[in-house]
Amino acid sequence: MIAAMEASAPDAERSIAGELAELAREVWGARELLAQLTLRDVRIRYTQAVMGFAWALLTPLLVLGAGSLVRYGMAYMTGTRLESATLLGLSVKALPWSFFVGSIGFAMASLTANLELVTKVAFPRLVLPLSATLTQAFDTAIGAVALGAGIALFAWPGASILWAPLLVALSFLLTCAAAVFLACANLFFRDVKHIVQVLLTFGIFFTPVFFEPQMLGARAARLLMLNPLSPLLEGLRLCLVQGHDLARPLWIPDARGNPFEVWTPWYLVYATTLSCGAFLASCLWFRRLEHLFAEYV
Amino acid sequence: MPEPRVEFDGVWKRFRRGVRHDSLRDLLPALVRSRFDRRRQSADELGPDEFWALRDVSFRVEPGRAFGIIGPNGAGKSTILKLLTGILRPNRGRALVRGRVRALIELAAGFHPDLSGRENVYLQGAIIGMKRAEIAHSFDRIVEFAELSEFIDTQVKRYSSGMKARLGFAIASHLDPEVLIIDEVLAVGDRAFQHKAFQRLEEIAKRDIPVVIASHQLDRVAALCAHAILIEHGRVARAGTAAECIAQYVSEGLEAQAPGGGALRLERLEVEPDLPVAPGGGVRVRIEAVAAGPLPEAHTLVVRVRRVASAEPLFSIRSRRAAVKLPDAGRFELRLALAAHLAGGTYLVEACVSDTERQRDVSPALHGTFRVRDEHDFRGLVDLEPRFEPPTRLGGDA
Repeated sequence: MIAAMEASAPDAERSIAGELAELAREVWGARELLAQLTLRDVRIRYTQAVMGFAWALLTPLLVLGAGSLVRYGMAYMTGTRLESATLLGLSVKALPWSFFVGSIGFAMASLTANLELVTKVAFPRLVLPLSATLTQAFDTAIGAVALGAGIALFAWPGASILWAPLLVALSFLLTCAAAVFLACANLFFRDVKHIVQVLLTFGIFFTPVFFEPQMLGARAARLLMLNPLSPLLEGLRLCLVQGHDLARPLWIPDARGNPFEVWTPWYLVYATTLSCGAFLASCLWFRRLEHLFAEYV
Repeated sequence: MPEPRVEFDGVWKRFRRGVRHDSLRDLLPALVRSRFDRRRQSADELGPDEFWALRDVSFRVEPGRAFGIIGPNGAGKSTILKLLTGILRPNRGRALVRGRVRALIELAAGFHPDLSGRENVYLQGAIIGMKRAEIAHSFDRIVEFAELSEFIDTQVKRYSSGMKARLGFAIASHLDPEVLIIDEVLAVGDRAFQHKAFQRLEEIAKRDIPVVIASHQLDRVAALCAHAILIEHGRVARAGTAAECIAQYVSEGLEAQAPGGGALRLERLEVEPDLPVAPGGGVRVRIEAVAAGPLPEAHTLVVRVRRVASAEPLFSIRSRRAAVKLPDAGRFELRLALAAHLAGGTYLVEACVSDTERQRDVSPALHGTFRVRDEHDFRGLVDLEPRFEPPTRLGGDA
């Protein structure tokens, strides 16, 4: 597991690529530990839970309920009807959003909740936030099965569904990036947890979960798409509900009838770069600070 | 010559006292800077509130016999082990282990109370780096060693602390280590289990695997380790054979600020043999001293024997009482033969000049150790050489 630990000098000469390769080797070497820790948390979550697997659906259903209320209000004001595609779009976005929020909450505490391990046992600490995210992914998968069945039965979008796995993978990477970064930050500064809770509570207003960016007009929509979650959530909605091929741009008229671009493949490029970049950067950062964990707690 | 598997070379480790109350705004940039700015040459500097937990500590571990680290609480023993396992990194020097390190530092650290013993074996195994197949392979032996077959499917929160410790030790000691690092785990479970655990460690150490042990159980260290270091306030106070280190450590606890000088100066104390003797076996003590005049009437040379584990005195002999006439001038040698009618364990031999009137030592004490083999047919401190005769039948009614 640990081959050699040197004092300080060598990492100055090592390239980032070499460091990443080493990191990948470490995590790969600890894959069984990752599986065991995930299994542990899943077991604990479901053994003494009254609601059992309904737990997994609670948060996404709450988000969906809140979203439906908002959209019902909008439909009422504009005198239109609440369409089933809107509800389906809401559920498609509620699920990854709950995954994101749940993972961060759970992963952020993963180092501080396992202090005994962090201070006394040597293993790649990266597995702690990663397994927390995987545990949350297990919950999300239950919801995804239900949602997938719904889509397959009632609203088959066609070939554009093939984009979904990529977007799911990117959402996972982005969530891992945030989870790893925040777990580490929360170990050094315990107030990080509170700051993040506040940010997440209001974050839903800056992320297109309850609404679509185009409702805000061209400029605001583009601004909103800077939120790295936005292209992922919107992309999922477009490919799963609208049947839109994400390789092509999508133009729709705004309130005044002028067409504007609500989707461009560049959004996908942006999200991919950002998710992968953030994931690698936060893992590297985590690894470089890892040896300080036992001292700082 | 092959590279040593454990290297600990000129290691300095800095710690911070107390809790940090810095704000996020100030500290995050500072932290990042200190990590990434490699030109910073602060490896030697102490900031405010910082102290050296280890100062220039070096040692080598030869495979085949265990290596002991002893010293008072807070001296830096656990820090050394954490540096060896890679949990901490040194500020200066090299702490390097080649090969699969298995550390027995916190035996039950990975246990989760809501999971069964069985599930915890797999979890804990994974945490210390075993493959699932390896764990499955050793599972039955682990459970048998821990004596928990009946309770292996019970949740660990219903285990007693002894059961947890036994399970933890069983898992950790059934790994297949290339280097083994052990922190104060020789004290788990009841007497019988301790004995079993000790034998298990002895077995591992014999397989040419470097073993590093930090412990307060000096008896065990003496029996397991060939070499040791004594750590005090983060420095190596003594490095050498385990017996030397233990003798110095125990004697420091006894030191009663005896003044030096006087008519008799003790220079050297040797105890033979180095190897453990059988109960009742002969132990030879050799004292070298220099006399600078006749010894005052109330003064006498004293040789005491103490148990290492408790420093409790068991025996003492005074030269005056034994009517030994010590020379009045010049360097001389005094030999004393003892028969070790003692229970198995490690013993400290102490020699000093004592004032019989004021009941105190008037010279610094010299120390040595000897060991008595553990031959388990009696219990207690002394060997009264028990010998049963065959029972004879008595007449009369039952």
